[in-house]
Amino acid sequence: MSDIQEATNQLLDVNLHENWSSIQVTESGPRSESEHLQVTIGATVPTGFEQTAADEVREKLGSSCKISKDRGKIYFDISVESLAQVHCLRSVDNLFVVVKEFKDYQFKETKEEVLKDFEELAGKLPWSDPLKVWKINTNFKKKKTKRKKINQNTGKEKINNGQGDKIDETDGKKGFTNNTLDSHILDYYENPAIKEEISTLVGDDLASYKDEKDESSKEETHPKMLKFRVTCNRAGEKHCFSSNEAARDFGGAVQDYFKWKADMTNFDVEVLLNIHDSEIVVGIALTEESLHRRNITHFGPTTLRSTLAYGMLRLCAPQPTDIIVDPMCGTGAIPIEGATEWSNCYHIAGDNNPLAVDRAANNISSLLTKSQIKEGEVSWGLPIDAVQWDICNLPLRTGTVDIIVTDMPFGKRMGSKKRNWNLYPACLREMSRVCRPGTGRAALLTQDKKCFTKALSGMGHVWRKVHTVWVNIGGLHAAVYLLKRTPQAFVHPSEQDGERTPW
Amino acid sequence: MKLLTHNLLSSHVRGVGPRGFPLRLQATEVRINPVEFNPDFVARMIPKLHLVEVPKGPIEGYEHDEKFLRQMHHVLLEVDVLEGTLQCPESGRLFPISRGIPNMLLSDEETET
Repeated sequence: MSDIQEATNQLLDVNLHENWSSIQVTESGPRSESEHLQVTIGATVPTGFEQTAADEVREKLGSSCKISKDRGKIYFDISVESLAQVHCLRSVDNLFVVVKEFKDYQFKETKEEVLKDFEELAGKLPWSDPLKVWKINTNFKKKKTKRKKINQNTGKEKINNGQGDKIDETDGKKGFTNNTLDSHILDYYENPAIKEEISTLVGDDLASYKDEKDESSKEETHPKMLKFRVTCNRAGEKHCFSSNEAARDFGGAVQDYFKWKADMTNFDVEVLLNIHDSEIVVGIALTEESLHRRNITHFGPTTLRSTLAYGMLRLCAPQPTDIIVDPMCGTGAIPIEGATEWSNCYHIAGDNNPLAVDRAANNISSLLTKSQIKEGEVSWGLPIDAVQWDICNLPLRTGTVDIIVTDMPFGKRMGSKKRNWNLYPACLREMSRVCRPGTGRAALLTQDKKCFTKALSGMGHVWRKVHTVWVNIGGLHAAVYLLKRTPQAFVHPSEQDGERTPW
Repeated sequence: MKLLTHNLLSSHVRGVGPRGFPLRLQATEVRINPVEFNPDFVARMIPKLHLVEVPKGPIEGYEHDEKFLRQMHHVLLEVDVLEGTLQCPESGRLFPISRGIPNMLLSDEETET
């Protein structure tokens, strides 16, 4: 954890504690219970990186996680004061607060009975605490964005994202229509440079929340007229109902219970009904839009999710002053995530395509501009640079790179499968040259697993595969290969006696 | 392009090998960006670099010499070359730096086999 983050976290704790004790002086009793409110938070993460996300939660929040069988989801408990820090997690796509979890829900035989059960369920759930958390969360976001609520565009994406029956869990083809406006909104409170403000903000928020409670004690049981929708995700082969039916009937009952207005696109509260075989989780969404495009303002044709970039970097366990290179950086998603989160390392983004390098440089500038907003006139630099180069002939000194993280051309949208047969071995060779022997490591993402495995099989003397993470990229089954560089020094082919170095 | 990056770059023109380092830098436009000073970072980075010209200062115990570390910090991280050229010391080949990005691409004839 960087010094900035550590200091900010301490500040966060201190501020909230002060706030809590000052509140206690003025009022006592049930008031103090809210501050100790413990809730279960659910987070969606890129499939395959559940453990990495769990590690981040443990590191930054001190909570242990439960990894759900419903792939791509983790659950952890926090006290409501830590909500701001939860939003700063870099490995999660979406967040929600759990209303209730059913580990082994008993479905009745017929569709009518099952749907009737869902209707009756709505009135029996413990909504109170989760709604408190939702409210704090909404106020927190309002203050941060200083803009109007998210517009129709995001609402439409929700329709595409949430519903539909699924036999296998898929990450879904998240709409690539996120515009730069939305990215900026989320980026703003994501940036570690502004965490300091968050600490006072949550403090203020809890205080103002108390005031609101003062005004109307009836607020809890009858919240003001809110608009809501239900999003149902269903996976499993033995269900006799569809996600649409469940969402409709459950939603109807929720509407009756709360007297909220149903609105599919312009909603305040999004109720989640996640059904995976016999596991049901009812939740309330805390993020209106996926966090995964946070750092990128200039998109390219195959921009990687920031959460995935974070996961890949974390797999390599970066140490202070490590030199981290992405030799095929595209829009620079990986180095940018790296420079933000591991600012005590040095990051280099490289690509042969001038458009790509240009976009990467623009994304880096945008990042600098954002930290400028907070820091004032001073423009702080970041430990990141961009170079235009050819991966097969890297202009880097031998053995100087500690970590290589890259998204290799899948051969679908970029490059071709045929080209990969020559490209992959050449890449692995050149990467082995620049990578530091013994301690160096690489995390390489590719969908062309066959080609990669073949290319790797001839390189056992320099690369050792230590781990494979199976991931889902827009419906494609891809893999992240974690490689360790063997201690063997790179030998230039011309220096060998015409024979291959023995393994 | 920061000077720390420059220290990692090496010419890969065919036949040049390790004599491609260091690239001769000619800067026509430079910008100074303040970067937060992290003495640990600088101290630990120095052994990783291939410093050909060491600034005047103590060699032993440099980790504790804040003045020296600040100098190195400034040179490595705060100086940003926006326009200029890098030249291969062996072959003389020029690589342009434009808008802070060095273009190290070679033509097919020039690359190593």
